[in-house]
This record gives sequence, structure tokens and C-alpha cells, in this order.
Amino acid sequence: MLRRTSLAAAALLAAGALLLTACTGGSAPEPTSTPEPDADATAIIRLVLEPGNLDIRETAGAALDQILVDNIYQGLVSRTPEQEVVPALAEDWEISSDGLTYTFTLREGVTFHDGQELTPQDVVWSLQTRKDTPEWSDSSRLANVATIAAEGQEITLTLTEPDSSLLWNLTGRAGLVLKEGDTVVYQTNANGTGPFALDTWRQGDSITFARYDDYWGDAAQVAEVVFDYIPDNQAALNAALAGEVDAVTGFDANLKEQIEATGEFALVLGESTDKGTLAFNQAPGGPLADQRVRQAIRQAIDHDAFIESGQSGETLYGPIPSLDPGYEDLSDVAPYDPEASRALLAEAGVEDLTLELTIPSFYSTTIPQILVSDLNEVGITLEVSSVDFPTWLNDVYINKDYDLSFVLHTEARDFENWANPEYYFTYDNPEVQELYAQSLAATEETEAADLLAQAARIVSEDAAGDWLYNGASVVAVGTNITGMPSINVNERLNLAELAKSNG
Amino acid sequence: MIRYTLTRLALLLLGLLVASVLIFLTLRVLPGDIAQLIAGTNSTPEQVEGIRQRLGLNQPLVAQYLDWIAGVFRGDLGSSLLTGSSVTSELAEKAQVTVPLGIMSLTIALLFSLPFGVLSAMRRGRADGTALSVGAQTLAAVPVVWAGMMLVVVFAVWLGWLPAQGFPRAGWDEPAAALRSLLLPALTIGIVEGAMLMRFVRSATMQAVGQDYVRTAAAKGLTRNAALIRHGLPNVGLSVVTVLGLQVAGIIVGAVVIEQLFTLPGIGRMLVADVSARDLPKVQGELLVLTGFVLVVGFVVDLLHRFIDPRQREST
Repeated sequence: MLRRTSLAAAALLAAGALLLTACTGGSAPEPTSTPEPDADATAIIRLVLEPGNLDIRETAGAALDQILVDNIYQGLVSRTPEQEVVPALAEDWEISSDGLTYTFTLREGVTFHDGQELTPQDVVWSLQTRKDTPEWSDSSRLANVATIAAEGQEITLTLTEPDSSLLWNLTGRAGLVLKEGDTVVYQTNANGTGPFALDTWRQGDSITFARYDDYWGDAAQVAEVVFDYIPDNQAALNAALAGEVDAVTGFDANLKEQIEATGEFALVLGESTDKGTLAFNQAPGGPLADQRVRQAIRQAIDHDAFIESGQSGETLYGPIPSLDPGYEDLSDVAPYDPEASRALLAEAGVEDLTLELTIPSFYSTTIPQILVSDLNEVGITLEVSSVDFPTWLNDVYINKDYDLSFVLHTEARDFENWANPEYYFTYDNPEVQELYAQSLAATEETEAADLLAQAARIVSEDAAGDWLYNGASVVAVGTNITGMPSINVNERLNLAELAKSNG
Repeated sequence: MIRYTLTRLALLLLGLLVASVLIFLTLRVLPGDIAQLIAGTNSTPEQVEGIRQRLGLNQPLVAQYLDWIAGVFRGDLGSSLLTGSSVTSELAEKAQVTVPLGIMSLTIALLFSLPFGVLSAMRRGRADGTALSVGAQTLAAVPVVWAGMMLVVVFAVWLGWLPAQGFPRAGWDEPAAALRSLLLPALTIGIVEGAMLMRFVRSATMQAVGQDYVRTAAAKGLTRNAALIRHGLPNVGLSVVTVLGLQVAGIIVGAVVIEQLFTLPGIGRMLVADVSARDLPKVQGELLVLTGFVLVVGFVVDLLHRFIDPRQREST
């Protein structure tokens, strides 16, 4: 009996092996001749991080912006993946030469997903409520707005002082337009003006959007988009290989060959504003209060190693990534040089330094590994404390109880944190704060960017932090998919152009 | 029997009460809170404070506990701070994945451990018996995650017979697809749990072989195997029922791990997500139900044991 079973098992395995060779032998991709998009298609996109709830008013986190902004909710203006400001609910806008008055022309014939009409009063109410409700995200970004008024389709904002970041801020949470007095339960539901409407949210699994047929602009090219939340990259690869998803975001470029071997996917690397930020607690009294020690740490780190290990991204030597205004190549400020690092430590009189790195547990273990070995090279012992994200928020963000901290800051144009001494970066340089204030007050874009660049250089020269890498958006796109964004998809995933063809 | 049942029931209720305090307190030790998570990394202290106030997180701990426990007695386990949905409805929804997963896992574990366990005991000392026993030892030592990954590679990626992850969006409206998506996860838990169970069945069987009544039956002319099957196996069954109580807890833990691996929208995955979101009212309700379930299973197993085993029945 037993012998027969094992024989059968052996036969089964052999058959499996045969099947396997058969599969790998015959799956060469057929070249397709400009396939027609299928208007009834459902596109399935793998995402990593599921939002805790869908409350766009209040709940922070890129997981919400990524899918809800542009696709479901819109503001007067929006931004392209290349970070350009473009019209959305406003057809057009004008800024007075003193930078104190913004006039937007609201589109007509816009409806919300539940059929209600968008009125100029909805816009006024949305902006005013955002400004007046501190619990809502980014409410402080409207701090310079004095009045918001509507006359016909004209929406006018007046400012107390010029704010070169206002228009950009209006492309984000601060500018989203909701229906006044809406009864929608924002935590689990949504009602916006975008090309997609929320269909279902199966918590712990997926979110489905359906095309909104009465959309004011060009209709979405797919009938449905399903966001499939698969945190693990190996599981995502398996899902892709088994044909269960059409596109994979947040992918690991090290798995490029495996996913492309099927002929069904192509790996696309896009730029992003993801900054792998190593924060130094430089509060007075600690070992990192000394600029030389911080500089020594920066020069001890081989930044290229992070790019190689991830097979993606670029090095970054200052607080501003290349997609944002004010970027400048600052690699000359802290070149990799263990020798110089040791000299700086000696000059600062530091011996046998032991530091603790607090890092949320969902990041790759390669990051602390590289840091531990690089710092060990110059005589610094690094102890790694891997914690869950709420613990990081509590210990590092709120209590500033840390030596070194690593977090990937994904937000675009977030230089303000280096100009805020209260932020967990613990960096306090009045010169930088002044330059940032001047940049906000500038009425010319180039002038604002130039002032930011000056401030960013000082931040880097002060070794206020270190930037291990500027991450890339790693997206594997099915060969039958077009219009899938590839730039900064962790922050925004505008799917208006997404199309899927049969074949 | 009735006195025993009542004592045992009182113990069960006491256990639940103690568990509720422990669950409540251990969750409060976790650093970080949900208000900060909602507000995020570009928030002001006022923003966090406003959210905290609205969610009632500033109330004293004793008041929070009493609030919760009073609700539990009214049949209200609490609700999520993030989505507002009740713990009961969330559990009922996710149970549609986890309960079938648990039943399938347990069935697979039993189907494979009972015959092989008895067989390996009866064939003790021979090549096939030893092979079975060594095989079980090895499988029992395999981490669930690794077993799952191997099964995925073979059956989902190479052969393409079963889905690699996920649950059909239509749920049980597509029964075949739902079953298929649970098969690999259930196999994973079933094999690992079954291997442990098999070792137990084996030793229980071996113990039975050595018992006087089996020897007496053999002396009265039955073959050793016939004696074992007729007189020994009921006793093996008894031991298995006892250990099944523990096995249920093992399967719940297994489900937490496996639901992550296969991204199944079940209770385990929800629990992990809720802990990392610090949605404490929801977590404590879920944990209380799970603990209660394990305690009730233990209670039933104990009663069952008394009922099946005539020796114990008479002694009370």
C-alpha cells in the first residue's frame, strides 16, 4: 500500500517536472499589433499599503492620496507626475502681480458621483472649512489665505502675504473640493468629482473603483480598477506570474528578470520624491550636536551601496530631490571618504561612540546592514532598534527620543520640515528658516526655487541629516496595459489614461 | 456530572474576565496611538489633540475599561475608531474566510494524522514505520511560512493549478473559486499541524498497545492489530479529542501567519492590521472573541472527555 503511494507520488512529481519544462518552453511573447483598448476591462493593480480608512479630510498617509486624489477627489488644480500644476475643476486661473489675489474660473456642468451638482459655494465651503478645521490634514497650508469668495463661476482667494507654495498646496489635500453638507460616510465611502467612483472596499483585501459615466472630462478607458493590496513582494511576484494582476507597483527591481521572464510584464523605473532620510538627533548635549560628528557619519556612508542593493533610485546629498524645485547636485558636500570621517571624529574628540538607529520594521533589512558595517569601519558602533510604525511615531516623531532614525519621506516639496525647529529633525538654523520664509514670499517661481536651493545647501553643509537615496518608483506593467503612471506612484496614481487591451 | 459542569462553567467565566483585563492592559502598553497615526508625519500637536479628544482617548483607563466591559455584557463588543464599523460585523465578515480555513485545515490535519499516526505505531521498528515517523518529525519542525511558500511555488507558480494568493472578490458567491483559494493555505496549516498531531496519535497508539486490555484481548485469540483496533483505538480517540482543544489554538495562530502569506482577508490579517493601526477598541473586541472561543473549546473538550471516558464519569 505504502509502496504504491510513494510510486504514485514519484510519478506525479515527474509529470509535474515535465509540465514545468513544457510551460517554460512555450511562453515566448507574441508581438501584438497596436491592440484595441477594451472599454469593459477590469485592470488589477497591486499596491503595497492599504489605507486604514478612506477619510480624505483627516486621515494622513500617502496610501489615501495615492488612489483617492485625482481619481475620486479633485481640487481646482492638479499636478502631473512631472510635478507641473495643471487645471482640474478650474478651467483657468490668474494670479495678481503682487501675488496676493488668486482668481479661478470654475468649470460648469460638474457633478459629484451621487449626482449632486458642483456649485461655486461648494468650493468656497471646502476651502474655508479646511482652513478653519485644524483636525483636517494640511489645514495649516491655507494659513495665508484671508478670504475665499465666489462670484458666478469665479472663485477668488486673497492672501495676507504672498505664498509661492499656495498653488502647489491646492493640488493636494488642502485644495480638495467636497460637497457642502454631504452625508456620505467618509471613513468607508467617498463622493467626489473625479473620473472614477468608489465601488467597494473589501478591507484587508482590495478596493474597487468603477468608471464614473457622467464625468466632466474624458471618460476613463477601463470600466473598473481593482487595487489589490499585497504587502509582500514575493507574493506580488507570484500573483503576477500566476496572471492575477495587471500591474505591480512598489516592486523590487532585484526581481526584474523573474517578472520579465514571463514576457507578460515590463519593469519601468520612474523618478520619485521618496527620500530615504537618516535623521540625526542634534539636540544640545548629545554626541550629534557636533557638526563634525554628523559630517563624519555622512562621509562614512557609501551611498552607492544603497542604489546597488535596490537596483534602482539615485544618490541624494541634500533635502531636495530632483523632481522638486530647488534641487541641486550636492554630492560635493559629503563624498564617501572613511579616512576623512575618521579624521573628523578624532578632531571632535570622539572615541568608542555607540549610537542607536530607530527604524520602522517594514523597511528592507539591507538599509541597517549597510549602515552598521559602514559606521563600524570608522569606529562607530550602531545598534539597530527595529520597531513598528506607531512606536516610531511615539518615540522619534513625538518624543524625539532617538540618536539616528530612518524613514522614507515620500511627500513632494516638504522642505518646510528643515525650517521647523520643532520637527523631529531637531534642526534649528535661523538662516535656513529665513531663506525658506523668503522663498515662500517670492512672487517669481525661479526666485523661490533659487532661495530654496540656497537653504538646501546650508542644510546639507550643516549635516542636518543624511539622505541615503532618492528612491525610484518601480512598477511592473503588463504588456497589454497602457497609460500606467510610472513617476512618483507612491504619492499619486492618476489612472485617467489607464487602458487595457485583450491579448 | 452537573456539579462538575457548573464548576467548570464558573472557571470559564472567570477565565474570560481575567482575559479581558489582560487584553485591555497589554494593549495599553503598546507605544504610539491612533490619533497620531491618523494625523501623520506632517501634523501639528493641536491636530493630534483634536483627534484624540474626538475619539475619547483622553478618558482615564478605568473608565475606558468599564465602558468596554459594560458594552460586552450588553452584547456590544465595541467598534473601530477608524471606520466606525462594529467588531461583531467585522468578525462575522472575516469569519467567512477564517472559519472555513480552520475547518479545512483541521480536516486535512485529521485525515492525514489519524491513519498515518496509527500506521506508524503499528509498523514501529520497520522501515516504513520509521520513515513515516521521521517524516512527521521533519514536517512538524517546518515553519508554516516556509511550507506555504513551497506549496505556492509548486502548485500556483509552476503548475498553475491553484491561486497564489488572495480570495475571490465575489467571496462565497463563487464557491468553487473560494474553495480553491483556501486549499493551499489550508494544506499548509493542515500538513504542519497534522504532522504534530500524527506524532501524538503515534505515541497514544503505542501506549494503547502496551495496555493490559489489549494484551488480554490478544491472549484471548485476537491478532495484535485486531485487538488494538477494537479496544485500543477508542482510547486513542479520547486522547486525540483532548489534544484537539490545543490544536484549535494552534490553528488560529497558524491562520494569522498564513493569512498574511496568502493575503487572505480573514480574522488573522485583520488583527495584524488593526494592531499596527492601534485601533485598540477593535483589537480588544477581536481578541476577546478569539480567547473566548479557545476557552469554550477547552470547556467543551473537558466535558466531552468526562462524558466519553467511563472511568472519569464514574469518579464524579
